Amino acid sequence: MTMRDLIVISTGNLWRMKLRTLLTTAGVLIAIAAFVSMLSFGAGNQEYIEGEFNKLGLFSTIQVYPKNNPNRDAAPDTSNAPKLDRSAVERIAAIPGVNLVYPFDAFAVSVKMGDSLFASRAQALPSAAIKTKLFSRLLAGAVFDSNSSHQAIVSDEFLKHAGITSPDSALGRTFILSARVSTVDSGIGRIMSDRDRPLMQVMRRVRFDSLGNKEYLSRVLRLEASEAFKRFLDGYLNAQRVIYDTLVIGGVREGGRGMRTRTEQIIVPMATASRFSAGGPSGNPADIVGAMRSGTLFSGSDGGTGKTFPQVTIDFDPKVFYKSIRDSVEAMGFRTFSFAAEFEQIQKMFLYFDLALGVIGLIALITASLGIVNTMVMSITERRKEIGVLKSLGADERDIRWLFLVESGVIGMIGTVMGIFSGWVITRIVSAIAQGYMRREGIPEMELFSLPPWLILIALGVGIGVSVLAGFYPAARAARVDPVEALRNE
Amino acid sequence: MAEPYIRTVDLCRFYRRGHYTVKALDNVSITVHRGEFLGIVGSSGSGKTTLLNLLAGLDTPTSGVVDLGGVPLTKMSRRQLSSYRAQKVGMIFQSFNLIGHYSALQNVETALYFSSTTPADRRRLAAAALEQLGLADRITHRPSDLSGGEQQRVAVARAIVKKPEILFADEPTGNLDQENSDQIASLLTSLNQGGLTIIMVTHNLEMAEREAHRAIKMHYGHVVQAGTSARGEERP
Repeated sequence: MTMRDLIVISTGNLWRMKLRTLLTTAGVLIAIAAFVSMLSFGAGNQEYIEGEFNKLGLFSTIQVYPKNNPNRDAAPDTSNAPKLDRSAVERIAAIPGVNLVYPFDAFAVSVKMGDSLFASRAQALPSAAIKTKLFSRLLAGAVFDSNSSHQAIVSDEFLKHAGITSPDSALGRTFILSARVSTVDSGIGRIMSDRDRPLMQVMRRVRFDSLGNKEYLSRVLRLEASEAFKRFLDGYLNAQRVIYDTLVIGGVREGGRGMRTRTEQIIVPMATASRFSAGGPSGNPADIVGAMRSGTLFSGSDGGTGKTFPQVTIDFDPKVFYKSIRDSVEAMGFRTFSFAAEFEQIQKMFLYFDLALGVIGLIALITASLGIVNTMVMSITERRKEIGVLKSLGADERDIRWLFLVESGVIGMIGTVMGIFSGWVITRIVSAIAQGYMRREGIPEMELFSLPPWLILIALGVGIGVSVLAGFYPAARAARVDPVEALRNE
Repeated sequence: MAEPYIRTVDLCRFYRRGHYTVKALDNVSITVHRGEFLGIVGSSGSGKTTLLNLLAGLDTPTSGVVDLGGVPLTKMSRRQLSSYRAQKVGMIFQSFNLIGHYSALQNVETALYFSSTTPADRRRLAAAALEQLGLADRITHRPSDLSGGEQQRVAVARAIVKKPEILFADEPTGNLDQENSDQIASLLTSLNQGGLTIIMVTHNLEMAEREAHRAIKMHYGHVVQAGTSARGEERP
């Protein structure tokens, strides 16, 4: 018996028992529809997250932190851990496959735009970095293409502070960015301050005839040095210089996309921002504390060469496996965070999630398969004579077994194909309702479901596979029918 | 005389029925020659259908030998027996045993499913067999639309379409009126005259003696009488 014969005979038999076939197939259909729609939900969510990661270029990004930095906002320098400074940035940039390395270099600023005056934070970025996927998705305008451009990319949060509603209307508008920056000059100036005439006071205080006394000399030096340092600190931290610049809004980006991609409300080209960021800490207490903890309280004034960073971002060639770059960076003594590694964990979670959903669908399918078993067993009882006749005509056990397996397989196939289609229709309906809700609530719209080819193949495999498995017992029973008994009954 | 084609030696078929053993066939030894028409007669329960099933390879003996042209049927595997039925055996039954939801043509075609015949050839051969039996205008009819005689002729067409070497007929006229019985009987005779070996089980002694070369009588699982019949002179 050829497969064609088996299919023709099986479909003929099923067609003859239309109602029973319809009900049995409906069971498979419902189970597969549930299976597909549930897994489609898992796949949709996974695809959404992967798509978002891809859009931001996160798979080709690694964040680097100093090793002993449990908190990404501060970089304690109390051990021999290597510093995440300019020289480290250069070494990281030399790793094969690395396209770009840039530090997270942010500072507190005041913004004056029209009548609005508000505090904000700005971040310096090289023009090459602003063009990476991480930053280049703009709501309006374009990214700056020069490091010395006086353009800024601002976030939609910035626009809210400035009272601007439309990103397009913000383009081309100017604002004044100012920062109070501590410098070593202001500290020295405070020591030499005219108002207090500190040198004259010293001259009056010191007994020059006793300077020959070693103990006296030592005490004088200690006291005076301590006094001078106090004055320096007072000058350094309080007599800050105000630096300002006028910038044009060149682009508006969506803010609030947090995770580990730190971005501030204002992004300024590297060279343009250098006068803000190259100085000491700003008046922001958090900046001062951070600079003290990182040991860069004074080093910022020497052109930034000794400055360390709390975080550095690596943008690498997507063709390069992230682990090779991550391992090289970690070998230098730094900690890393990679979205590619994180996504591997997320994928594992999705796998468990999909498995859980799949098991629920499978339970429904197993229930439906009992319907197939029942239908087939009833069919055997009704068709004992037919089986006997076929055996008397030369059918062997294998032929009879195949006949019933193909019948259950045909039920499974029809039910599965219709179930996949029904599952897809269900997901479209639920998706339309969900998106309508998201629109009403102002939640960014996302596609909750996805029906990738692998899911269709799995559904086909599982649906037909379980149906055929369900046919094994009835098929074996049919194959065992004794032709003498079957024909005698008639 | 033609060579022996089928030979049984001490063939037994016992059934267990609770604590009892039913001896459906007890030490039956017969020989059938190629081209012979053998009638097996006997009352109900005499073991004639059991003997037929054993000869057709549908049943397995408790002991004894069935030899088919030198090949012991009793040593064959189930698959070999299926192949034997598919290629060499045609069967007709008292109750016709047509598949109710198939047309006459499909019923006849079914006999060719287990050979290497193509679907187109199957259809052609089945149609030719029905035409040969005067059923050309009935090929699309279902068994329920046919008379008893027509149904049995469809069953004969199904049995002969694959050109078997031997035809087993189990009470072929048992459900038919006299006119249809005579038609079927003469049909079997003409098939036998064409060279087909036929073993027919019947309780109609008169028909067996009229149509067969030889008739054997069975009683409680034993062959109690063997001899020639009206056509005995033509015996191959």
